[in-house]
This record gives sequence, C-alpha cells and structure tokens, in this order.
Amino acid sequence: MDNVTKAKINLFAVLRNIQDLCELDDVSKDIIKDEKTSVSFNVPDVGTASLIFKDGKCTFVPDQSKAQLKLWFNSPEHFNKLIDGEKTIPMFINIFKVGFLLNTFTKLADRLSYFLKPTEELLKDRKYFEINTILTAYTAFFAMCQIGNSDEVGKIVASRIVDGDIACGIPGGIQVTINVTNGVMSARLGGSENPRAVMEFADLDFAHDLLNGKTSSYKGLGEGKFLIKGKLSMLDQVSKLLTMVGHYLM
Amino acid sequence: MMKLNDYTKSNELFRRALKVVPAGVYGHLGPASGCAVPISAFPLFAEKAQGAYFWDADGNRFVDYMCAYGPNILGYNDPDVEAAAIAQIKKGDCMTLPTELLVDFAELMVDTIAMADWAFFAKNGGDVTQFATMIAKAKTNRKKLVLVKGFYHGVAPWCQHIGYSGIIKEDVMNNFYIDWNAPEQLEQLVKEHPGEIAAFISTPYYHPTMVDNALPAPGYWEKIRKICDDNGIVLIIDDVRCGFRLNLKGSDYHYGIKADISCFCKALANGYNVSALCGTNEMRGAAEDIMYTGSYWLSAVPFAAAIAAIKKMKEIDVAKVVTEKGKKLTEGLVKVAKSHDFDLIVTGEPSMWYMRLGNDYPSTILHQEWVAECVKRGVFFTNHHNLFINAALSDEDIQFTWDVADEAYKAVRRMHPELNRN
Repeated sequence: MDNVTKAKINLFAVLRNIQDLCELDDVSKDIIKDEKTSVSFNVPDVGTASLIFKDGKCTFVPDQSKAQLKLWFNSPEHFNKLIDGEKTIPMFINIFKVGFLLNTFTKLADRLSYFLKPTEELLKDRKYFEINTILTAYTAFFAMCQIGNSDEVGKIVASRIVDGDIACGIPGGIQVTINVTNGVMSARLGGSENPRAVMEFADLDFAHDLLNGKTSSYKGLGEGKFLIKGKLSMLDQVSKLLTMVGHYLM
Repeated sequence: MMKLNDYTKSNELFRRALKVVPAGVYGHLGPASGCAVPISAFPLFAEKAQGAYFWDADGNRFVDYMCAYGPNILGYNDPDVEAAAIAQIKKGDCMTLPTELLVDFAELMVDTIAMADWAFFAKNGGDVTQFATMIAKAKTNRKKLVLVKGFYHGVAPWCQHIGYSGIIKEDVMNNFYIDWNAPEQLEQLVKEHPGEIAAFISTPYYHPTMVDNALPAPGYWEKIRKICDDNGIVLIIDDVRCGFRLNLKGSDYHYGIKADISCFCKALANGYNVSALCGTNEMRGAAEDIMYTGSYWLSAVPFAAAIAAIKKMKEIDVAKVVTEKGKKLTEGLVKVAKSHDFDLIVTGEPSMWYMRLGNDYPSTILHQEWVAECVKRGVFFTNHHNLFINAALSDEDIQFTWDVADEAYKAVRRMHPELNRN
C-alpha cells in the first residue's frame, strides 16, 4: 500500500462521491442549494480535481484545477489526513471563499463521512442503507481503477486485462462502466452499450452484503444473486483489484 | 423439445456447503474457476459415473466432456482398472513399506514413456511439477525458471501470479515469462541472464483456459531443445493434462523431441490418485539428493490401478482412439453450428479440444449461452476450458451431442432475435 495510490483513491473515488451525495441526500441538497462556487484540490504526485457547485447541483471534474477556491496540499499524506478526518489545513488561494471551506464544504464532508461510516443502527433506515450502498459501490469501482493505474501490484494486474468495457451494476439500478485500454483503467457512471464482460448484482441488498464482506461472491453465484458473463478473464483480474480496495480503505 | 435439467438437490447441497466449505466447492470443480457460467445451468454435485457419463445429485445424466478435468480416459469405472484396484484394496493400500507394485509401476513407466530412465510417484500434478523444478535447480545450481505466458503448472506459489491472493512478489521473483511459439524470446533471456536459468517448463502445446489453444509451430520444439542443450537448461515438459491423450510414449515424443523431465498425472490411472515424474539418467542424481515425499505417495491401490490403466491404454491404443473420436465429434459440432449460421472455432488437439463461438467476439457471451443450453440438456461442456474425450464415448453419444448442440443453437437464436437471419 502506498500513499500516492491512497491519495488518488481519496481524491478520485472518495471525494468524487460528493457529486452523488448532493443528488441522493436531501440534507446535502439543501446545504448546496444556494452555492455558486468551485473548489479545486491540488495534490503533488496525485493530480487535481474540482467540485463545481451550481444550480443546486455538484459536479466533480477530474484533472481540473481551475476554480474559485484552490486548495494546495504539501504531499499525498497531507491530503490523506484531510480525508481521514484529521485536522489539517491546506494552503488556499482566494481568501474570500474561506467561508465556503469552513462552512459548506465541512458540512458536506461530515455528511459524506456519515454515509461512508455506517453503524448497524443507521443501516436499519432504508434510505440511509441505499445511499450508503450506492456510495460504497461507487467508491469501490472508482478506487479499483486508481489501484490498477497506480499501485505497483495493481498495475501488473491491470496489464493482464484485455481492452474493453466491463459493465457493473444492478438491473434497473446503479450502473458503473469500467473501461480498460492498454492496461489503463477508468470508471464512469452509467452502462455500456457493448460490454465485453458483465458483473451484475441482483439487488442493492446483495451489493451491500458483498461490498461489506457480509457475503461472498460464491454464495451470490450459487444463489443467483451475482451474475457474471462475458470475458471472464477480465472479471478474474478485477476481483483481485477489488480485494485490494479493501486493503486501502480499511 | 428435450427436457431441461432441474438442479434442486445440487443447489441445496451447495447452500449447505457454503456454510462449512470455503467457496462452497473450491478450486477447478467449483464455480470459482469461472468455467461454469451461468452457474444456474450447471450441476454442482455428482452422484455416480459410468463410462462416458456422470449423473448429478438430482439424477440428471450427462455425456461428460470434462472427464473429471482429464483423469477419465478409458471411461469411468473401467472394469479392468476397477478389478485391479479392488484386488489390491483387499491386500492393503497405505502401509509401512511400499509394495512390489512400486517397482512394477516404475518399470512400466520406463517401458512406456520414451524419455524415461526412471519414475517417481506422488499424488497430484502440482507435486511433480514442483519436484521437477527442484530437480532442475539442484542439477544446475541456478535459480531462474522460464515459463510460457498463460501457463498452468499447479497452485504452488511459484506457479501462481503476482496480485493473486496469498502470493507475494518474492514467490515469483525468479520466474521469467515468454510467449508461446517464441523461441527467440528464450534465446534473448539466455543472453541477458547467462548461467542463471535452471529450467524451461512448458506444456507440450498451448492450452490455457479462456483463449484459443495453439499447437507448436514447425521446428519450435527442436529450437527450444537446442537452446536448452546449448545453455545447460533443463527442459521440463508438463504432460499432466496431455499425457496419454496425444501419444502413449509421451507428448515430447509426439512432437519429436526428448524432454529431460516429464510430469504426468490425470489420465495416468484413469481417476485413481497418483502422479508421476519421469526423468533421464542425467537428472537421476539430483532427484535422489532431494528430500521429497508424502504420506500417501507410495500407496498401493492407485499403483495397481495405474498399471492396469496403462496396460489397457496400450492394448487399445487409446491416444489414437480418443483422437479419432475427438475429430469426429468436433467436425460434427462445427457442421451443426454452421447450419445455424454460427461459427464454432475449434483449436488444440482433437482429443482435448478447445472451442468458442467466433460470432460474439469480443465478449464470449453467446458462447456461454450456447454451452449453458447444452449442459441443461445433458451434455457437459465448460465455457472456457479445453474439453476431453474418453475411450468409452460411443457413436450414439456423439450423435446425442450433435442433437443437443442443434437444439441449443436454436435456443440461443430464440434468446437473440436480433441475430435471426432474414
């Protein structure tokens, strides 16, 4: 496990969830309803990404540093500390937007943390359960790509995956497409018209149990709750990357 | 319309297994191998087997083209092999000392396998591929191995891959990997690492899962043999899967060379648990120097079964029989596919062919659907592993297989109206 990969996961998988959080969670929607601003995160050896708040929506834009509020971190470790909830102060440019950082962004970060750190009690609330599962799934698939592109072993695993789309999701529900081109992995929300391999969860409940280690893919296969088809060698390698996600996010 | 199988009991057993067995059914016989997709089309537990068939826990009969992933070559419960095994069970199996059968079996192997000057016995294929590499390292006092990408030589850490659960970098750091049919890559490695390579280990032809299989190009094995000879590299043939299905004298012999070490298992005893390593006299000293053993490795019953199996395989010229049956079956399957405008691509050797539908490149989903429809009707294929022929397969079984394939193609067409012809 290395800090650069962890920071990439934190930036491009964990933080990007704020976009979906603002769509799924009414409280978050309310927090950003009047916001019209943008903030970029700049992490050395990791990259940049921006959150743009406009018209009651939040958009995560990777590889964009142009923003009204620019946050600079000293190192991947410095950024990881922020995501891990440790008190840390990034360098920032635009003193007039500090209020956003201390107020809106802090509230959103707390809200994200609330949904990504469930308790059994919280999971009894169906709405909470759904948001937790969706955000966990998005985190896992986006994080997996960062591991495939950055981690020493992950890169070797990714290099074994043939080119093409892997469609992951729930029929009629959330969909994430993983694309692999020349060993470089990327994830996008939505389905694929021409997937080379398919990984399908029967429902959110099974996805939740599998992503949280409460059940196994074998059990799911046997019970018909987990369906795989297509180029299975792609899924074989993807499963190894998904296992590594757990190591990084534990 | 043929009746479709019901797997109620199989599924019930799997649910029970999941509670007490990791992955329910682990390894290549279980869903984890990815060779049974979708799993709902496949039985998960067998009840009995006879000849070319097995019956699952629900009583469904299958013409079995996996042959226990290779061991069944004469037909399940072959009367001669069973009689020899049962006779030995009455006398004793695992004892304090080996029986005379150890010597009889080794003599028979030396007499049968063209390259063999001696034979060593263990249980699984992985036992002997592991021992082969140890012998090579002991013989050469070198530590590097060269493997062909897509290899399978067992499940020991050195023959797994980095990134796989439980495998660390140090487990595979002494391995080099080259492409199949690329002797120039071995030559290059030898130049870059003079005096470091202990062994080149490979299957006789290219038969990994999930990809088209490939035979050696003309002159390939001769070039590999020469590079090994010129550079003191031990040539190990992993004949675990091919052994006895291509040539009774060994697959190295079949392709015109002589290996230094050959590994056998699977068809060796028609399903009884024994593996064998054969070597040349040059390798004998290194083999003797290594402490390598197991509690059941010299058990007498599998030896008795193996002796009977080899004698019968010679008697009926089993490699010729299974090759001819394989040719007949696969030619017919290609014709049936063509009659439905499907392009079935068959590669590898006919006695253990690999097949896939060419129409659905690159996803293989159509092929998986067709295989699933065959399995549901009583023909046991897997999706992406080479298949196997056994000598008990009859012309009626082959005809039944073609009929099932025909109906399965129709079912696939019904599932995909977008593919229908004008």
